Amino acid sequence: MYTTTELFPDVTLRCIRDGRFKHGVLSIRFLRPMCAREASLNALFPELLLRGCRSAPDLRQITARLDELYGASVGTQLSRIGDCQTTGLTCNFLDDRFAAGGDRVLEPMIGFLSELLLCPVLEKDAFCAEYVRGEKRNLISALEAQRNDKQAYATTKLLKNMCKGDSFAVPRLGNIPDVRRITPRSAFDHYQTVLRESPVEIFYVGSAQAEYVAELVRPMFDELPRAVRPLPPRTDFVPAKPSHRSEKMEVSQAKLAMGFVTPITITDPRYAAMQICNSVFGAGQTSKLFMKVREERSLCYAIGSSYYGAKGIVTAYAGIDTERVGQTREAILAQLAACQRGVITERELDAAKEGVLSGLRAVYDSPEAMHGFFSVAAIGGLNRTPQEYAEQIRAVRVEDVVAAANTVQFHSDFFLKGAAHDENVL
Amino acid sequence: MTKTYYDALDETLFRATLPNGLRVIVNKKSGFAKKQCYFAVDFGSVHTDFTFAGENHHVSAGIAHYLEHKMFELPGRDVTAEFAALGTAVNAFTSYDMTAYYISCTENFPQALRLLLEFVSTPYFTDESVAREQGIIAQEIGMSADEPGGRCFENMAAALYERHPIRVPILGTVRLIAEITPQMLYLCHRAFYTPENMVLCVVGDVDENEVCDIARRVLGDEKRPCGEKLPFPTEREDAFEPYVRQNMEVAMPLFSLAFKTTCPEKGEAAVRREVVADLAAEALFGESSPLYMRLYEQGLIDTSFGGGFDTVDGCAMLSCSGDSVDPDAVRAAILAQGRLLAAQGIDEHAFLRMKRSALGRRIQDLDGFASTCYRLCAFEMSEFDYFLFPQIYDMISAEEVRGFIEQTVKEETCCLSVIYPIKEESR
Repeated sequence: MYTTTELFPDVTLRCIRDGRFKHGVLSIRFLRPMCAREASLNALFPELLLRGCRSAPDLRQITARLDELYGASVGTQLSRIGDCQTTGLTCNFLDDRFAAGGDRVLEPMIGFLSELLLCPVLEKDAFCAEYVRGEKRNLISALEAQRNDKQAYATTKLLKNMCKGDSFAVPRLGNIPDVRRITPRSAFDHYQTVLRESPVEIFYVGSAQAEYVAELVRPMFDELPRAVRPLPPRTDFVPAKPSHRSEKMEVSQAKLAMGFVTPITITDPRYAAMQICNSVFGAGQTSKLFMKVREERSLCYAIGSSYYGAKGIVTAYAGIDTERVGQTREAILAQLAACQRGVITERELDAAKEGVLSGLRAVYDSPEAMHGFFSVAAIGGLNRTPQEYAEQIRAVRVEDVVAAANTVQFHSDFFLKGAAHDENVL
Repeated sequence: MTKTYYDALDETLFRATLPNGLRVIVNKKSGFAKKQCYFAVDFGSVHTDFTFAGENHHVSAGIAHYLEHKMFELPGRDVTAEFAALGTAVNAFTSYDMTAYYISCTENFPQALRLLLEFVSTPYFTDESVAREQGIIAQEIGMSADEPGGRCFENMAAALYERHPIRVPILGTVRLIAEITPQMLYLCHRAFYTPENMVLCVVGDVDENEVCDIARRVLGDEKRPCGEKLPFPTEREDAFEPYVRQNMEVAMPLFSLAFKTTCPEKGEAAVRREVVADLAAEALFGESSPLYMRLYEQGLIDTSFGGGFDTVDGCAMLSCSGDSVDPDAVRAAILAQGRLLAAQGIDEHAFLRMKRSALGRRIQDLDGFASTCYRLCAFEMSEFDYFLFPQIYDMISAEEVRGFIEQTVKEETCCLSVIYPIKEESR
């Protein structure tokens, strides 16, 4: 059962009551505009909150508390939803009925989460300097480590080039110079701004009644000074100038990332058709990219495509031999052209639809999946249920897919060339 | 068919062994739409030497994984498209000691199960299709070679062990897979893809009798001879090489540190060993340990750090991995902490808290269909009923965990594998 409660103005609690699981999920998210100015701050401050709070001032004591709560876990909640960045905390915990001898987990869990969120360890009206130093270092490492995953690296570079000037080009964790500039005071000031000015979304999935969860969560915001500033309106995406770039690394496999644009975004009535179009083109084992480029031509192992509905961008990727880049690029474009010409069998269409439908049916079988689906729907401003979306998917016809494919235009690519000859591979 | 209700977990398992020897486990989940099914073979990349039909065989490393790729073909049919038409996701993995084919779906489960059993039990390889797969797997090997975490582990395994086949990556190498022929694939299929050497496990709201009926109909009731794995070469007790390093395109050094230990037996001993070792990992370098906090505060580890107990047929190790500016310092600190815990023992109060936490996490993990399916299969192959784990926790004492640390965390059994960044000047 899904209920939405307005706890305070701009503080919304959404609960899904479901007693089938052994664990529950609760997240508290603050909604921020996705912008270069605060991306790093939004990424950093929740990490600082997880270093210590009044009754558990260091890592060890935090973990000890979580251990007492039957192995509960707390993490930061940082994500991009459209032009919005969400930041905050999330926790997973054992359902009360599995705790020993009538022990309770949910109530102390929310109490502890509240303390982590609102009572950080401070020094002279700023975050603890030692914690800030450590977490800045970790965030910088995380940013540097992005080059470790070569496929993701190539796609990120591609999107950065395509989306120059748009919120989508702002990296989710910000960038290293911005992190370096953060001080204990600037982080604390920002944290207070976030608490005061941001719309808040609280999401719970578990066995407890919504009223009970509301009762436990409400005190967190009771005395919090609030003066909410509405988020800036969604901006239309204007693609940057097309670019075709490459970079060399000492890797044994090269990575090709290709970017396409479409005017169809998440609020467009053709959105479902566009999602199916992406599935037929490159998502999964029945897609054209998998069947034609991998299975028939053995050009690659990893290949696929993704559709970013918030902006109307499709990306395709493949891990290949450096010298086969021309062949692969042509093969990928040929598969898009096939979709545009309507070379789509009933079987391909059904497989694409079934793939999406199956995912939608399984949303209710995991607290994380429900949390993900419903919170993104709510924050993204698209309040629809999996069933409602499934209806739209079922209604998609071949001609809708072809029409959607014909809006897709090749825009840019990024190629990570391999330069290594690794004897271990041979 | 037996039915067992596990009160502490509020779960029900049905178990049966079919006339053909296949073990079937059904974890009934009423009220869930999703169905997850594993069809697992007790055959992985380390099983390259075996006896079958009176003859000794040696096959190329990487063949178990190659075979897994090639199983997705049936003569004149497109298995992937048939699953897609049923709205079923299908995939497979090969580990060092298991190959598993798995499906998940919300509808059409009986048809999907039938198709799963059918394609995994029907070998069909031609020279042409085997040759075509080489290009694809060569790319998979290339991709995996660029993946620093996996590479770091593989280097460590090859340094820790002198003779055990865990030294060779699961995928094999481009040169090794070039030797694979349809005949070798048929041989491995005949020897190991026999019902007796396999486990069928379903998690979801399904009819357990129907699962058994379908399996009998597709696989038949006949028992078939099964290949016998030859024992692994005798392995030294200490680490073969204490250090191994490689330079790759990474931002910061990453390491994998392991302590070699004796391989657990089967049955209850196996799961008890796993639980003891997990608790030892928690006491030694888990997030609530004093060592973790010290290393984290010194900036020697970050949230990428983690560890636990790994077992592979014939191998066992306590290991940890993560990014670090100074992996040698992490190694030294863990060895010192191991000595300290071995001498002083583990605080009783902290130990109870750790047990409560570990048990709570295992119970929470049961919400994951795929991980539950995997564990049920893996423990079935180790001849233990996984759902009895709460009782195992009750039995374990702090002293047992201390003893494990004393035995395991030693200089001689330790191997440190590090991936360092490529130096700027050599670029």
